[in-house]
Amino acid sequence: MALPPPDPQFVLRGTSAEVHTLHFYCGGQEPDYPILFSGSSNGLIHVWNLKTRRVDTILDGHGGKSVYWVEAINGRDRLLSQGSNQQICLWDLAEGRNTVTDSVFTENVGFCKSSLLKVAQGHWLMAMPGKDLDEVQVLELPSKTSVCTLKPEADAKPGMPMCLKLWQPDFGSCPFLLAGYEDGSVILWNLSGGKILSRLGCHQEPVMSLDFDSEKKKGVSGSSEEVLTVWSLDEQQNLKVQKTHKLVNAGIADVAIRQDKKILATAGWDHRIRIFGWKKLKPLAILNYHTATVHCVSFSDHSRPSERLLAAGSKDHRISIWSIYNQTSGALHCSLETRKPD
Amino acid sequence: MAVFDTPQEAFRILRPVCVQLTKVQTTENVECLQAQLQTVSDSALQELQEYILFPLRFTLKTPGPKRERLVQSVVQCITSILSTTCVKKQDLLQELFSELCLCLSSPSGLQSPAPLSEELKLTVIQALQVLMHSAYGDIILTLYQPSTLPHLGFAVSLLLALAEQEKAKQIKLAALKCLQVLILQCDCQEHHRLLDTVETRQCGNLFASFLPGISTALSRVITGDIKQGHRVTVSAIRLFYQTVCLVMADEQLATITQDEEKPSVEQRVSELVVHRGPDWVKSTADKLSLLIHKIVEFTSLHPHWKVRMEFVELVHQFMLKCSQSLVESVGHLLKALVGLVNDESSEVQSKCHEILRSIAELRTVVENRALADILSENLLSLATALPRLMNSQDDQGKFSTLSLLLGSLKLLGPKVNIVLNSAAHLQRLSKALIQVLELDVADVKTVRERLWDSEDSLGEPSGSLQHGKGQKKYFRFFFDEQIFLLIQQICRVLGYYGNLYLLVDHFMGLYNESVVYRKQAAMVLNELITGAAGLGVDVLHKRETAVSTEDLKGTITSILEEYTDQANWYLTTSIDTEGTSDELTVKHSRVRAIPRGAHSSSLISSSSPSSDPSPTIRSMNSNIWQICIQLEGVGCFAYVLGKEFHLLLASVLYPVLEKAGDSSLLISQTATGTMVDICHACGYDSVQNLINANSDYLVNGISLNLRRVAHQPHASRVLEAMLRHSDASLLPLVEDVIRDVLSALDQFYDDRASSFLGVLSTLVAALVQWFIVGKGKEHPQEQNLEQQSSTSSQKQGEGSVIIPMVQEMEQFFLDYIKQSQIAEGNLPAMEEEEEEVQAPPAEPEMNDSGAEGETPLPAHAQIAKDVMERCIHLLSDKSLRVRLKVLDVLEFCVIVLHLHENHLLPMAHCVWPALVTRLINDDPLAVLRAFKVLCTLAEKCGDFLKRRFSKDILPKLAGSLVAQAPVSARAGPVYSHTLAFKLQLAVLQGLGLLCEKLDLGESDLNKVADACLIYLSAKQPVKLQEAARSVFLHLMCVDPDATWLFLNEICCPLPYEPPHPSLQPVKLGGMGRQRTEFTDNVLSLLGELQRQETATFQAGLQEAPEPQPPSLTEALG
Repeated sequence: MALPPPDPQFVLRGTSAEVHTLHFYCGGQEPDYPILFSGSSNGLIHVWNLKTRRVDTILDGHGGKSVYWVEAINGRDRLLSQGSNQQICLWDLAEGRNTVTDSVFTENVGFCKSSLLKVAQGHWLMAMPGKDLDEVQVLELPSKTSVCTLKPEADAKPGMPMCLKLWQPDFGSCPFLLAGYEDGSVILWNLSGGKILSRLGCHQEPVMSLDFDSEKKKGVSGSSEEVLTVWSLDEQQNLKVQKTHKLVNAGIADVAIRQDKKILATAGWDHRIRIFGWKKLKPLAILNYHTATVHCVSFSDHSRPSERLLAAGSKDHRISIWSIYNQTSGALHCSLETRKPD
Repeated sequence: MAVFDTPQEAFRILRPVCVQLTKVQTTENVECLQAQLQTVSDSALQELQEYILFPLRFTLKTPGPKRERLVQSVVQCITSILSTTCVKKQDLLQELFSELCLCLSSPSGLQSPAPLSEELKLTVIQALQVLMHSAYGDIILTLYQPSTLPHLGFAVSLLLALAEQEKAKQIKLAALKCLQVLILQCDCQEHHRLLDTVETRQCGNLFASFLPGISTALSRVITGDIKQGHRVTVSAIRLFYQTVCLVMADEQLATITQDEEKPSVEQRVSELVVHRGPDWVKSTADKLSLLIHKIVEFTSLHPHWKVRMEFVELVHQFMLKCSQSLVESVGHLLKALVGLVNDESSEVQSKCHEILRSIAELRTVVENRALADILSENLLSLATALPRLMNSQDDQGKFSTLSLLLGSLKLLGPKVNIVLNSAAHLQRLSKALIQVLELDVADVKTVRERLWDSEDSLGEPSGSLQHGKGQKKYFRFFFDEQIFLLIQQICRVLGYYGNLYLLVDHFMGLYNESVVYRKQAAMVLNELITGAAGLGVDVLHKRETAVSTEDLKGTITSILEEYTDQANWYLTTSIDTEGTSDELTVKHSRVRAIPRGAHSSSLISSSSPSSDPSPTIRSMNSNIWQICIQLEGVGCFAYVLGKEFHLLLASVLYPVLEKAGDSSLLISQTATGTMVDICHACGYDSVQNLINANSDYLVNGISLNLRRVAHQPHASRVLEAMLRHSDASLLPLVEDVIRDVLSALDQFYDDRASSFLGVLSTLVAALVQWFIVGKGKEHPQEQNLEQQSSTSSQKQGEGSVIIPMVQEMEQFFLDYIKQSQIAEGNLPAMEEEEEEVQAPPAEPEMNDSGAEGETPLPAHAQIAKDVMERCIHLLSDKSLRVRLKVLDVLEFCVIVLHLHENHLLPMAHCVWPALVTRLINDDPLAVLRAFKVLCTLAEKCGDFLKRRFSKDILPKLAGSLVAQAPVSARAGPVYSHTLAFKLQLAVLQGLGLLCEKLDLGESDLNKVADACLIYLSAKQPVKLQEAARSVFLHLMCVDPDATWLFLNEICCPLPYEPPHPSLQPVKLGGMGRQRTEFTDNVLSLLGELQRQETATFQAGLQEAPEPQPPSLTEALG
């Protein structure tokens, strides 16, 4: 007998706008409680206290324009947020402050989320959509100096970048950028040369989101069509399609691989969150709660595996928090069975 | 009387008397001496003491039988001398002592007292006592030398024999008192020389010889016939412990060494002297313990409280002075003391408490391993025997058994962990507690008492927030509330001293082990936690380390998780007909099965709820109690954690609120109590604040539970409770969840409708309360003004009822001309007026519905509209209950929406067909309700419904009224209780207003009038007549003339003479008729009509410009 899929552990309400992006911060020692940052379409960033399940602070810095990327940088006190007012803001949240200390003007009108990579203590690289439509710019933080500008050759015409993922094989080695484009292709950029290493046309429609497992050299991308594609990177730095999974309903807004590389969550336009085993892309569960498109999914990085959570933000203004597959790794493949979507 | 101060004078006086006495020893002479003594001052007497005593002693000493009378007077005389003088010579003291003792002894045997008269015995005893008191300074100690041992022994045995064998209470008391003096423990007012340590030890050594005798004799006295009176027993007890304490004092025994030199006395005496070495102490303690045991048995149950009081003192003294030497008896003594803690006499109680506290402060128990062992053994044997005792003893006995248990626990203090650390012991103790706490769940009332009226389902948020005491529980083994309090204390003390983790773990294990244990284990857990927090626990000494808040919180969180687990929280508490079937199946798969054969013999009857498919009353009762206990637990934990409980609210508040709406009275009351506790703990001043401040948690719970079919009724109940306790500020938060409810309803129209309707009904009622009634309150003054004006106009009307006909005529013509001019349409002035009339209504429209078409509805109206849409579908539900409920909801929706006509009218259009069906062919109950809705709808929609009403409903209504009229006319008094009557009444009461509001046309009005006329008959029930009259009153407002004519056709009270011969005479149908069944009502209606007309006429006159009438009269003239 297949057990029914679980209910959310709890639901956060009160953003009163569509939730576009989520980011957990669970570091910190005991007295500190886990935090969830959420960015919503009314330009507000909510800082949720996951212990009391209530909003701690509300940050307003994007002039009422949708916020579609937030990420904590350097602990819980600094936050980067990107909004459709073409600003990327750096917030100072220490000691109860909530002020924008710095900002970058992106000159891009798309809604491509930026990507952040810590390269050294106190140094980050941030990939963001550039001034030209098909351009990606990489900045060094905190100095804000441009590292490189990645622009496809004139005849490539991949369209606008839709999603970005910076990664590096080992800490300290040369970073790479994976970018999903409007024409459905995923391009691997070498940051040091600013050259395309590989290009894979894996979707017919724009790539909406991608995530990459740098250990297994394997990534996943979702687009507005009903296909989820897993591709891998071989020794020669070539991207190859490894597997595709056909979904019933089209549209994947977001994909996220959990930090332990065991499961993958997707945010569906069909209001559903799907959970897959990352190893074989085995469908594990469909989490049905939201009543509108799910915009984003995010896994927490809590130090105790049993307290790791999954959060999903939706157009219906709610953020659902799920506690799934976090007991023991052994239970992963036997506790839940797939439910066919009806 | 003359007093001779100087010894010389005194001597001169006394000498002859003394000489005389020496010569002739007679009573008279003694009395003479006695008389003379009165005249001598004390100081003089002291000088002459020996001289005067001589003849008296001589008299006593002369050999041969003496008359008792004489002896008595001599002894009395000696007593009086000694009482004013003191003995300064030790020879004299010893001699007097033995001489007096000899008076008591019989010449035959030395040991037994002589068969003397009681008076004499008493006198001698008193003389002895006085003698002891009169000994000067250290002289007294000379009596307590080893050499005088035989004398002392003689006196002691004599006195003991007297105390034991005499019948007279006075002698017994005097003997005991004298013995007390003899052992130097006199407690009289006089100043006594305090002995130093060495002297005390000597005395101790000396009396050690007498101890066996004294103690056995006294124990016989103490345990003797109760009829001897309490005073004897009391002083015997006192003497007993004083003696024992003197001889067996730890302090003295510690200083005695093995090879203490024997006092140098002659051989015979030295045999009597006892050496108090360890061996001697051991054997004496053994013997004493037997005696003490006997005394304890007897006195701790003695009917007189002073005896018990003295006994408590005995324990105190022993614990204080002899706790080591008498270690074997200590357990016994403590047990008795602890047993007396709850004595019926408050003096004894407080004394016990005081002593226990002082014992605990001495830390004799905590530091004394032997004592701790004794106590824990006691504890265990008690725990083992407890279930048996609970079965066999009466409440009084149970009470003392339990107080014993409690007392041992308190005395053990932190040492209790020695017991708890042994698994077997813990098991025994916990099983005992659980068996004792078994509830009596046979009472049918528990299940039967439920809330039928869902309106009160959360009780009222009581203004006075009191810490809930919990429901009164009925136990299988006892009835007395005191006993429960004792057990409560026992658990708390356990929690206070015991290892909390160990205890909680153990009882959690029992909780999960079997349904049979669950309730008791939960009860114990609740108290353990309370005790661990140090609340409401009465202890003797403080524990070293208190449980930290963090630990408490962790423990409480895990207990709460277990309590609110589905299997323990959602239990069958009623055989509810609607929609529990799938709920039950859900449960059955989850409830833990009871292992077969796990029942202990006494518990078999309370069988498992899950083993039989249909829940028995007993199992439901048991479930109700379990939930209550768990709820009380939540309250306790809140109390314990205080503000810290805030963090747990997220998980706890929803389940509690869910139970607050439970249909079982007991559960809902308990849950309300719990909420109050939570309010207290978290610092909310009312339940409403609590709900409001934490509505986000609740909304979360509701929305998640709505997703599960089985929990939907609970979720909707919680939402109901929230709505009922909150205000408009809640709406934005719950809006979202209301959508969830509606969508859930959409999914389960068939089977779940009724459970959702409850919440919908509460919802719209709340909306009405928040948005309609709340606003309505802003204009009460206007209404008042209106009322005032109407009353004043009435008064004026009454004041001038009779108006000259001429004026009336004039007015009529005036109006007539006006009307005809209007009809022709040539009055320009009227247009202005019309504009004026139309202008004001435009204003509210601007406010309320001006921009309605474009802008969205306010949230509350939108919700009402959505709910109304669902109601349309549900109006034709097959269950009557659902239909009735839907009609209620519908009515509220209409009220909420009435300000938004653009939305209301289309909805009304949609609702109409279904509503008509309800009105025309449905159960009378539904018709009744539907008619009410119709009235509301008509009131709010006005003439929008006019045509539909007259087409679809009026014929049917009128028809049914006509058809029913003969029945009600014939019916007896019982008829007024029938549904048909209520329906008639409701229709008649509502019809008038309907006519007015819908602005019905003439033909319809006639139909109404025709149908109602029959009800004006005097044969109809009075209420129906009244209602029918009200219809006509409304008709008068709509069309007074037609009504007047109609009524006059029935009955015309006045002949209408034409005022002028040129006018046609008036012919009315009702003229000149005989009095009929209708007459009375018609006449009263006509009278009312007349009044109204004159009133409006008067008003018209006042409003009209003054100069007009005269000018018109002129014109006519």
